[in-house]
Amino acid sequence: MSTKAIEIRGLEVHAPSGPAKSRPRLLGPVDLDIEQGDHVLLIGPSGSGKTTLLRAIAGLSTPSIGTVSLFGETASSGSKLALKPEQRKLGYLFQGGALWPHKTVAKTLGFALSAGGVAKPERPARIARMLEMVQLDGKETQLPSELSGGEAQRLNLARALINQPQIVLFDEPLGPLDAPLRSALIERIAFLQKEQGWTAVHVTHDPAGAMGIANRTLHIDAGKIVKDELHDSASA
Amino acid sequence: MTSGMSFEALASLFDARTMALLGRTLGLGLGAASIALLFGLPFGFLVARTNMPGAALLRPIGAVPLFLPSLFLAIAWAPLVELRGGLAATLVLGFSTFPLVALFSARAFERVDAAKEEAALLIGGLKAVLRMELPLVLPSAFAGASVAFAFAVNDFATPDYVSSVGPKFNVYADEIFANWNLVKNPSRALVTALPLIALTLFTLIPALGLRRKDSLATLDSGFRKPGTLDLGSLRIPALLFALIPLMIGAFVPIGRLLLESAGLPAQLQLGEGVDLAAAWATMQSSFSQALERSRADLANSILYATCAAAIAVPIGLVLGHAIERAPRRLGRTLELLCLLPLAFPAILFGIGAVFVWSTPATADLYDSGAMAVMLFAGRYVAFPVLLLAGAVASLDRRLEESAGLSGAGPASRLFRIVTPELRGSLAGSFVLVFVFCMRELDSAILVPAANHTAILRVFNGVHFGRDEYVAALALLLIFAILLPGTLWSLFAKKRLEVMR
Repeated sequence: MSTKAIEIRGLEVHAPSGPAKSRPRLLGPVDLDIEQGDHVLLIGPSGSGKTTLLRAIAGLSTPSIGTVSLFGETASSGSKLALKPEQRKLGYLFQGGALWPHKTVAKTLGFALSAGGVAKPERPARIARMLEMVQLDGKETQLPSELSGGEAQRLNLARALINQPQIVLFDEPLGPLDAPLRSALIERIAFLQKEQGWTAVHVTHDPAGAMGIANRTLHIDAGKIVKDELHDSASA
Repeated sequence: MTSGMSFEALASLFDARTMALLGRTLGLGLGAASIALLFGLPFGFLVARTNMPGAALLRPIGAVPLFLPSLFLAIAWAPLVELRGGLAATLVLGFSTFPLVALFSARAFERVDAAKEEAALLIGGLKAVLRMELPLVLPSAFAGASVAFAFAVNDFATPDYVSSVGPKFNVYADEIFANWNLVKNPSRALVTALPLIALTLFTLIPALGLRRKDSLATLDSGFRKPGTLDLGSLRIPALLFALIPLMIGAFVPIGRLLLESAGLPAQLQLGEGVDLAAAWATMQSSFSQALERSRADLANSILYATCAAAIAVPIGLVLGHAIERAPRRLGRTLELLCLLPLAFPAILFGIGAVFVWSTPATADLYDSGAMAVMLFAGRYVAFPVLLLAGAVASLDRRLEESAGLSGAGPASRLFRIVTPELRGSLAGSFVLVFVFCMRELDSAILVPAANHTAILRVFNGVHFGRDEYVAALALLLIFAILLPGTLWSLFAKKRLEVMR
């Protein structure tokens, strides 16, 4: 029996500032169900609301109307956040990496584990395992500024996955990479998703590149889902 | 006036008395900087980044303790508490300089990219955000604390006043002043000041490096301003905490001076009857007396400060731009040179002015208001230089490059492309120089032309018969100091930038 990882009903997000009545609507209304283990691509033109939807799922932006539920638990209802972002057990790959410039590779992951409440003795083994998974072993002491574009994105991926999230949100993480690096990282993501079983929502401007790992594509335009396509994928 | 640098003067730098003075001064500076850091860092975070009630209002008010002459804090608190000596001076200078750390920290907290912050928020909430950001913000906070240290160790008026109402608390700036009064020998004064100059430079040079370090936070392109952090149930405790330094550094001193101007006793007892009509009449009388007796001094203060700011800001623009756009090594050298006026104790600055300009050939200039303007502009030109250098650094270099490719020369690029982008910082620099010149006492005390200012009147007043008139004059001076910044904040669309 399939389980709904994400359930969205009547979700609307408006611009955060300005008079209440004249605040432009950035997203919605959106109704959406995503099954556990799915890899859903979100595609659409710039400003169509892809990132806004991702941020509303993560609790990083506050919706105005509607509900977001994660694994059956209400995460937000109207403008009230029932679950804070850190309580949602999500991994998030930020556009541009958003890596902490003062933390080395190992310290980035160590910090994430510590903030996620993982006991200190457990951390080194978890870090080593994750670095191996994303093929960053040997780079432990390097700062983000010393990593190549591909390595930085793999660290971004490792940080998102280190606390074993149930849902991973990808906000165009592959954009700045060249084609060979992009396909190598997509392969890695597919491998890790298959192994760990998380659910993915993946914003991209390059659907062709990511299509291989997705089993569903949502086309979004002017804040609304205009097309919903199911297809086979290598991993799903 | 004698001149010449004697071996005896040099040797005296290492005697026990000098070492004790230096130790006391160091203690004063470290204590004041610690207090500034303890209150300034959280204050900067709370007003810049959180939903603490009144954060937007408290942010500009947070600068007030720095803008008030520290002497006013000392004279306002002295009748209220028993505390005297070194601890009193340390507390006064700590709370007076806490806005430096708050300003530096607030700016640094605003420069952390939203996505980096959200990455931490998703993992561990507000606690993780703070843990992640603190190492990014600390260099700026320490830079602010270093400037607070430099202010404290060079301050003459506060330790001098504290000594006049309690046990003697002799610090190094006092020593330079006393030495000058004793032998009127500028070389000896310079030699005496050397350890203090070294101490100040030793603090300010790393501060420059620390300031540059916070650029770590803004290296990425596509910077997104971070949002407001929710304090939840901590909103009210946070507000109470933020009010502590403001109460000590601004509200109580101003309130106390108001009561004093109304002829009310230092410590009003609860339930004690106050004749409000009489107090009001006294207050009116003391203000009209202050205006009548010191109108010319107030006008001088405003005129000198305005002229000094009008001179210092354009110089700051040119030098600040040069620091950022010149080749790296040249820029850093220029930056260091521009810092020197701040590294010299203000008293020594006054001595230097006397030495250089008190000659028969320059007597007219020396006796005129222009001397005061030059003294103040020279003393504080470092502020606009550093502030505008920071503002230029945050400006996209390509703006100038594209203008250059279109044929615009260096002056045209500076004044027609760069200057319009820096309006907020230019206004901020002007206000900053104006404020510091209005409250400048230490360098002015020795230069006759700069003696006819309101702050000197207050200084003399508190030493020779403090009364309602002195309190009213102090309040008028505070009003004049705060007016330009307040007007700008109320009516200008562009934010006043006193920190980049």
